[in-house]
Order: sequence, then C-alpha cells, then structure tokens
Amino acid sequence: MKMLPEDALDRLVDGSNEIADLCRKNKVQQWEIVALQSYGHQLDIEAGKISLAAGGGDGGYGIRVVEDGKFGYAHLVDIKSADKAIQQAISIARISPSIKGFTLPSNQETSEVKGLFDKKILSIGPEDLLQQADSILSEVSSLDKRAVVTGGGLGVSATAGVLTSSEGIEHHGITTSHGLGVQVSIDENDQLTSSWQGESSKKLIDKIPNCVANSVEWAQKTRDPIKVDNGAEDLPVLMTSEGIGSLFSIVIPSAIRGERLARMESFWSGKQGHQVLADDLTLIDNARMEGGISSSSRDGEGVPTQRQVIVESGKLVGSLWSTRDSAKLVSEGKIDKASTTGSASRGGHQSPPVTACSNLELISSSKSSSVDELLERMDSGYVVNSVMGAHTANPTSGDFSVTTSSILRVEGGEIIGAIKQAGLSGNMAKALSKEVFLSDDVRVSGGSMHIPDILLMQALRVNPI
Amino acid sequence: MVLAKSPSDDSYDKARRYLDEDKIRSALQNASDFGASYAEVRLVSITDSSVATRDGQLERAIPGQEVGATMRILADGAWGVHSTTDIESIPSQVESTVRLAKAVAQRRSSKDKPVSLAEIPIIEDSVHWAPEKDVRATELTEKLEHLNVLYENSKDDKKIASVICGWHDEHIHTEFISSEGMNRVWSFQRSLINATVTARDGSDVVSYRTRHGGEGGLELIEQCDLANLGNYAKTSAIRLLKAERSPSGKLPLVADRDLTGVYIHEALGHPCEADLVAAGDSCLDGKLGQKIGNDIVTVVDDPTIRGGYGAHPIDDEGLNTREKCLIKNGVLTDYLNHRETAHHFGIEPNAGARAQDGLHHPLVRMSNTLIMGGTHNDLDELIEDIDYGVYACGSRGGQVDTGRGSFQFAAQEAWLIENGSITTPLKDVSVSGLTLQILKDVDGLTTDSKLAAPGFCGKGQTVPVGDGGPIMRIKEALVG
Repeated sequence: MKMLPEDALDRLVDGSNEIADLCRKNKVQQWEIVALQSYGHQLDIEAGKISLAAGGGDGGYGIRVVEDGKFGYAHLVDIKSADKAIQQAISIARISPSIKGFTLPSNQETSEVKGLFDKKILSIGPEDLLQQADSILSEVSSLDKRAVVTGGGLGVSATAGVLTSSEGIEHHGITTSHGLGVQVSIDENDQLTSSWQGESSKKLIDKIPNCVANSVEWAQKTRDPIKVDNGAEDLPVLMTSEGIGSLFSIVIPSAIRGERLARMESFWSGKQGHQVLADDLTLIDNARMEGGISSSSRDGEGVPTQRQVIVESGKLVGSLWSTRDSAKLVSEGKIDKASTTGSASRGGHQSPPVTACSNLELISSSKSSSVDELLERMDSGYVVNSVMGAHTANPTSGDFSVTTSSILRVEGGEIIGAIKQAGLSGNMAKALSKEVFLSDDVRVSGGSMHIPDILLMQALRVNPI
Repeated sequence: MVLAKSPSDDSYDKARRYLDEDKIRSALQNASDFGASYAEVRLVSITDSSVATRDGQLERAIPGQEVGATMRILADGAWGVHSTTDIESIPSQVESTVRLAKAVAQRRSSKDKPVSLAEIPIIEDSVHWAPEKDVRATELTEKLEHLNVLYENSKDDKKIASVICGWHDEHIHTEFISSEGMNRVWSFQRSLINATVTARDGSDVVSYRTRHGGEGGLELIEQCDLANLGNYAKTSAIRLLKAERSPSGKLPLVADRDLTGVYIHEALGHPCEADLVAAGDSCLDGKLGQKIGNDIVTVVDDPTIRGGYGAHPIDDEGLNTREKCLIKNGVLTDYLNHRETAHHFGIEPNAGARAQDGLHHPLVRMSNTLIMGGTHNDLDELIEDIDYGVYACGSRGGQVDTGRGSFQFAAQEAWLIENGSITTPLKDVSVSGLTLQILKDVDGLTTDSKLAAPGFCGKGQTVPVGDGGPIMRIKEALVG
C-alpha cells in the first residue's frame, strides 16, 4: 500500500494554479497561495495493547493577499469556494492598516535542506506500524516484566506542500515523518510510577529508539521514594534534556522573536549586544539542519532559511523576523532597521505566516561533561526528568512554577533515591545566565529543541512534598 | 485530495446535508458485509472567524470553512478509523478500514476483552441550538468595535506596554450516520473574546490574560461588560508589576471561581474519564461508590448548560447530552464515559464522547465541570479564620498525572492572607497536590456556583470546556 497518491503534488499545483488565476482575474496586487495535504497512518496504545488503528488524510488551501501594504487572509478546503475566499481576503485587506514597506517577498535562489524526505516511509503500511508496536510492547516487557505501556502511540505521515506567489515563488515538495511516544507505568505494591518519552524523525525509525528503554528506566528509578524533610531549598538542579525541553520551548523561542524584543515584551528586550546567557553558551536557530524536525529550505512565505546565531558566547546578537513583522516594526519606529531572517512559520493552511523559531540548538564552548561528572560537580541537589505544567510558565518574564514526580535526590555527587513529588520554581532566563554546565549528550526535546542535559547551579528552588 | 462537497451558499439551512445519506448507508452496509459489527460516519463542518488586534490596530482577520469526516468501524472487537477531508472518498475506504480493525483484533491477547458498545436509543432527527444572534452575520467592522472597547479600557496607563485582543467565533455543524440506524444532524455556535495585557516597569515585564465567551452567538459578546473586563485586566497587570514572589510550602489556599474550575477539571475531571480508568491510568480506578472527598464536595459535568463554553446538544457518538454527577457529597458516583467504556464497566452510557473536529475520533472528555455551592456567604467568611495563607485568582492552566493522581495548576494573580485579611499581592503562584488527598481537604465553599471564564482542554485533541464553581477553601495545599 502506498501512503501518498502518485499525483498528490500535481493536484496541489493544479489547485494552486486555479486559485492564482482567480487572483489575477480579481486584479489582486500581490497574492500568495499555500496548499498542504497530509496522508498517514497511526496507532494508539492503551493499557499495554494496541487500541486503535487509523489512517487518512487532510489538507487545504490558504490565500494571502497584499494591497498597498495591507493584508488579508482566508482558508478553504473546497477549491470551488476559492473565489469567495479571495473576495473575503480582499475585503479584509481593504480595512486593514497599511504597513509602509510591506510587500510579499520576491523569489530568491536557495539550496535544498537534506534529510527531510525518506522514500521508505511512503511504503510503510498499517501492518508495518502494527509490527513496530508489537516490538515496542515486547521490548518494554522484556526490560521489566512489571512495566506496561499505558499510553502512547506511533505514526507515519507524508505531507505534500506547494507555495506559489505573484512574486515568482513556486516551491513544492514532500516531507515525511515518523514518530512515537510511550508512557510506561509500573504499578506494584500500591505504588504507581510512570514516565513518558518520545521521538520524532523525518526518516524512518527502523529500530526501537532509546526513548523506550529510557521510559522504562525512569519508571523504575522513581520507585520507592525517600523522604526529604529539608523544605524548600535553592539548590543546583540537573535538568535532563527531556526535563528542560518543555520549559525551554515555552520560554526561549518567544523571547527571541524580533517583534517581541522591539516592543519591549521580551525579558531580553534592550539587551542586544549584552550578556544574557552564561558566557560559554551559544544559541542557534538552525532551519537548515539536515533532517531537523523544523528544517526547511524556505520559510512559510518562501524566503530562503538560514542558520542564525541568536546568542553568541552569552551575548544577544540576533533575533527572528518575518517580512511583515520587520516592515511593521520599522514603520512604527520601534526599531531602526530590520528585515526578514527567513523565520516565517505556518501552523498549516489555516494560518498566515508568523515569526517562529525552527530548530534551536544550545551549545557550550566549554568542555561538555558526562552525567556522572555533572553529578559530582553538583554535589547536592536534584535531577529532574519531566515537569508538569510547563505550559503555565510565563514567557514574558521567564518565571515558572511547576511540579515534578520524576525527580531524584543527589547528595555527595551520588543519587540517593527518588522523591515522590516536588515543586520546582525559578526564572529560566536567570538560571541560564548563571553557572551552567552541559552534558555531552544532545537530544531533541520540547518539539525541536536540540539541548543536552543541563546543570543549573543557581536560581532554582525545589520544594519537596 | 483536498475536496469537500460543500453547499453553494453559506446561509443557515437546517435541511442542508453534506453527506449523501444513501451512499453512506450503502458504505456502512458494505462494512457489515466485510465483517464489521458496527460502523459510523461523522462529518463536521466548521465555519469560523478569528480576529486579532494589537494596540487597537487590526493585526489579522481570518475567515474560513473546514469540512472533515471520520469513519469508525468496529470489527472483531477492535477499532479501525479513517479520517479525511475528501468526503467523496469515504465509501472507497470501507474495506481497508475493516481490515485495519481486524488486524488490531488479531493482536488482542486472550486476557483482553474485545471492544463492545453499550446499547443506546436509535434516533433520527435534527437538533439546532440556534443563537439569539447568528454570529456568522457579524461584520468584521462590528467585531472590531467590540475589540476596541476592550482595548480602550485596557491601555490607558503609561505602564501598559501592549494590548493584544482576540476574537473567535465558530458555527459547528455535525452529521452522524451509523450502521445501527442513527441519523442525526446538529449545530450550535461558540463565540469568544479575549485580551492579553502586558505591563512593563524598567526590566520587569508581566502579562495578564482575560477571556469571555461560551456557547452562543453575538449576544454573548454584547451582554458582556467589555469595558470592565478590559479595566480589570489593566489593573491586574499593573498590580502584578509590584507583586512579590509567592511563599513556598503547605498553606491554606482560597481559590476564586476560575481557579476552582481548573482545580476540579484537573484534579477530579481527568481521573474520572473512563477511558483512562479502563487503561489503568487513573487514581480513581475501583473507587466508584467510595468516599473520596469531604461531605461538602459535589461535582457535576454538564454539557447541557447553555452558554457554557463546553456546551453541546449531542455527543460525538450521537447520544443526547446530559448532566453527570461525578461526586455526590464526597462519594464518587460516576465516571465520564462513552459507549465502549460504559459497556466495559457495565454502567449507563452518559454521553461523554467528544472529538476535536471531523478529522478526529471521539474520546471521553469533559464539558462544563463545576463544584456545587456550599454554605459560606462570601470570601470574607472563608478567610476570616486563616492566619497565613494564599488567595489565588484566575487561571494560567493546569496539568494532571491521572495515574499517580498528582496535579498542578497556576494562578494569574494572588494575594497573601494574613490574620483573616487579604494583604500583599503575589505573582507566579502555582498549586500542586494529590487528588485523593486534596478532595478531602476542601473545607469551605461559598453558596454561588457558576461557570467561570471559558477554557480549552488538551488530551491529544483540544476541545473547548467550561469550568467553574464557587469560591473554594482548601485547608492545606502545596503552594509554590
């Protein structure tokens, strides 16, 4: 069974051309059409068994029109309603404020980013996924007979996409993805422990990924909690990549958007050229990473993407911009000059482009350490592998106050046991600007954050139950 | 392919059908011929409009119409599902979807029970919750006028750095046809307005979010005192600039209606979802009929509360919605369920199935979830005997580990309670605890239980929900 119809792209191109003709007929000054169509298979796992198998496809068209610096947008699934959608977009544009200097981007040459398409995924059928799920369930059971996959699933998809504009952009392609996630629980002697881990790739995941064993390991590690009577303490915390990924992805991408920086809505506003992270840390937004989950050769409005250094040796040196944001903030006088950094992103055909990060990498110029070396450096503190409530972190201030049930106590550089639950609070920006040490094992967490385990020596408070 | 059979105009037409009933019935019969014991097709058309302004200027306005359908087939006691925007293609996917279900069934071990569905009444009808004012007829200029009232009352202080206002309305039209003979069409609308106010003082930056809306049309927005909503958001954002960090530790906690709603949603509602209970991922497994909370705690989930953001007339398995009493005077009386879990537990189906849209299959979900009122007259009565505690208001969201029964939620703003009085403003207050402990620690509720601000709930799929209750006192909670 083939996942993607042979003519999937051709049909999208034909549909886009039909809408483009209608835009020309309506004498739209500038227009841009995005067409997306995804196909895929997925399995749900519950209570140690496959509970459901699903397949299908969805997609649609988005139309952006720009006239005299004003823009309108509309989306649709039925090509027959395209003319109405164009009229809606035009009428919205006409009552929108004009942004001086805002025009749709012109076509620029760029090279493809490798590793975003794997032909092998196209031939994956439901039976292949079922066999992979069987293997995962067996693997979990073989690692620990008590362990059960209580939730999760796996899926493959292929997405055909077309971007066409009045400015000569004609970009199309197919990307693939394969992902899985498992929640492993051990429920024995009236004590339930669990751990969620997952992995995504643009390529076929043809072996059982490490996240499965890690999930079992953390369900084991957090059993038989010890009692800690110290109350709330400001101590070093080693956040695993999985533990910090969700918080990092809520707080940092928002802070490096040019618009938020220029509007003084970021905790790093006014700090361009100043120290914002520990001086050995560098933060890179890399949309051209081979095989990166958020990689692409062109951004959501067709501008060539780039690898951009945002923080270099602790100093804020960059920010993310889309065409519209940059024109708008310059026209408002919030910033002297700005131009697109190829950082426009779309949530699908229903959304116009907005500025967003791609793959964020945090690296250190200092020698990275093993986890054992980091524990030794920590001496006393905690290891945290997941947090609950990361989405309640405040991206404007960087403050967060979350809960964890996946936390280990460290004394004298050794893990002495798990604790049942603890509150964890602090400020992400401050914690990353103090003493910070990175492990040598970079993993992808929080969507597309490429970060290792991070030892934060200051600015965090742990409050064990 | 990206095609959906859609009507030629958008006018409100009760007789309009997207699905070709004869073709779908024939497809469902084919499913039976291929060995399915049950099959259904559910189509959802959503006509929506989103508007955002920044500092009073239109940022974006996005109208759209999306149509999607999901076919669920039960064969040999397992589910196969096909979801698509290509409505015409559904009949051609029947055989492969039956095969999918059978392939899942083959993997079932002897100790696992095959999926069966609880019996339900078979209904053929159309149900339309008509709004007083159809929101689809609202011009963009009128939406902008409402947003401007919110903005004008949020902005007038030099410490306000920005005000982002938003609008979202949607008309949801659903068609449901099953192999059992169910043939229903229903529709309703939701309308929402919101603002996020950011304040800045030197390097301190804070934000406050406010929302109003629910099930219904333009009347919901017109009935709201938007000036007051905006003014409160501004005042709160400025107050947060001077707020102090929260004390950490186990403290008496008083929660306003918003936070009470989020608490009951996270701490009790999710563990009550029968699909999680059946999967062994709920701390309430085996506790039906047991005392799990203080006598004063009674909790309902009720999708029939018109105007609530989680209100809907019919669930996504075609059942008429109804009130579910989850806890009565501290005793766990019911799980939220769908047909599969109702059969699994041998309990009455209570119409708890919801899907995000036409492209997702239904899960057990909450709707409008409330703690019922108690005996305290007001906030003053609840705090008068607290020496040192926290009064927390407004929600920034929450999360629960249903299996362990631990939860966390965060407040937008808070105050210290000292010697029975509200004193110092606090910021970044979060509360965590264990469901089975904290339900026993609820020791005070005001008399007036109402739904609070609208919210959204994520469980792989996102659905709108209403939460609320009275003002609530917990004698001890972990505050951080």
